[in-house]
Amino acid sequence: MAALIRGLRAGRALRGLGGVAVQGTVSLQCSNVRRGFHRAALLRLASDSKSDTSVPPPSYHEVHTAGESSSSSAQGESSEDAQPNTSFQDQSGEHGEDYETEEQLQARILTAALEFVPQHGWTVEAIAAAAETLGLSSASTGMFNNGAGDLVLHFVAQCNAQLAETLAEQNNQVQLGQAEAKKTAEFLKDAVETRLRMLIPYIDTWPQAMSILLLPHNIPDSLKHLSTMVDDIWYYAGDRSTDVNWYTRRAALTGIYNTTELVMVQDSSPDFEETWAFLDNRIKDVVNMANTAKQVQATGEAVVQGLMGAAITLKNLTGMNQRR
Amino acid sequence: MQRAAKCALRLDLSRAFCLEVNVNVCMLKSLPPPRDEEEKAMLDSMLRVDHAGEYGANRIYAGQMAVLGRTRTGPLIQYMWDQEKMHLEKFNEILGEHRVRPTLLLPLWNIAGFALGMILTRIEGTMSCTVAVEESISEHYNSQIQTLMEAEPERYTELLQVMLLKNFVMMKKKNRDTGLEHDAESVPGYLLLKTVIQVDCKAAIYILQRI
Repeated sequence: MAALIRGLRAGRALRGLGGVAVQGTVSLQCSNVRRGFHRAALLRLASDSKSDTSVPPPSYHEVHTAGESSSSSAQGESSEDAQPNTSFQDQSGEHGEDYETEEQLQARILTAALEFVPQHGWTVEAIAAAAETLGLSSASTGMFNNGAGDLVLHFVAQCNAQLAETLAEQNNQVQLGQAEAKKTAEFLKDAVETRLRMLIPYIDTWPQAMSILLLPHNIPDSLKHLSTMVDDIWYYAGDRSTDVNWYTRRAALTGIYNTTELVMVQDSSPDFEETWAFLDNRIKDVVNMANTAKQVQATGEAVVQGLMGAAITLKNLTGMNQRR
Repeated sequence: MQRAAKCALRLDLSRAFCLEVNVNVCMLKSLPPPRDEEEKAMLDSMLRVDHAGEYGANRIYAGQMAVLGRTRTGPLIQYMWDQEKMHLEKFNEILGEHRVRPTLLLPLWNIAGFALGMILTRIEGTMSCTVAVEESISEHYNSQIQTLMEAEPERYTELLQVMLLKNFVMMKKKNRDTGLEHDAESVPGYLLLKTVIQVDCKAAIYILQRI
């Protein structure tokens, strides 16, 4: 068991050495070398612990090289001790295209983990359960330094990407003339509703997720996701402002989104009707405030002009305007 | 390769200078979508600073007009202000198109620019101040152009055109005003003023790139 953990740690360290961005055909070279390292480490592992030779190699493989067949390659190892490179050529030739980066693997595990969230909550157990369904060892949760935080952030990023796609699609349709452009208030309401509806399957455990997002080390990432989402919504709503309005609009929408999210979490009405009504009211408030601000500004300008006119009239009457 | 691109741009530029008014038309898709986070961040901060600069210039002219609007120099200032308005329009479009955040300090810039404009009309040697400012801005544009050129001239052709154009215009103005600068050098404290202005410009650029 200890040998297995040592092996996993060594594998992770080697992976880190191998570098992060492994894409395209150039990476095949690196992947060959890395597999060579993996094999070498594996062989040392196998020779170390004679008693559990049969058990660790397959699971080691499964953890780190998901695209390969496990047992056959493990058995092929012992005869290829002398020349680690040559025989791996055809292996990588066969399985090169299936090799995925660590990020892709992590994304796959996290996406699968979402199904276990209602059962286990936003925890490492959900990730472990997902890893097992994908045929990996549950110890592969060691890949995620942030544990549950990684899971929640992955979900948020996924939802935001989906929202951006939907909004882009709608925008396309409007541009092609297949759909009518919505008014700003309606557009905002629909966008926020779409985004919040993605939380419905996980609404029971969402308070736990929100508290995870508020942990100090997660705050920068969660703020980044939130601001990107709000920026996306306003961009597709047609906002192209380049003055302080840029900030006030986004701040307003952030406030609306956060408060609506809170309302939704403790809403028990059928299909969250109360939440949508709350959202509607908040958006109306913001629109009203914007209109009021405009009116105040216009009135202010008119008043100033009136005062200036009065002052000039006074100056004329008292003869102060005459040149002497 | 880069030199060829530079020569091509300079040729374009001399033609473009004669048609300054038409630059507006070709700005529709001025930049390719950014390749990655780093490039987006670099472009973002560059565009943010340039936009803030145009905005500030606008407000300075507004301040000057407020004071000198009804005097002899009024029409001249109005003409220069209109040119600046065109540049600001251009940058507004670029910002909106590429979803670049404008600087948070815009309201402050608004007031500061207006006040500076009003002050500039009062002190002697206004032209020399303008020259000092335009020198630092020119230097700033030069460094931006160098950055873009070093990265990949072809990607940023149109943006470079805009910047080179601005630079060229400023250099021409500077040459025109150099005569005035010589007169202004006799004003006591001119060197101090010039250094203060240049340091201020550098500080402003540094802050605007970040906030």
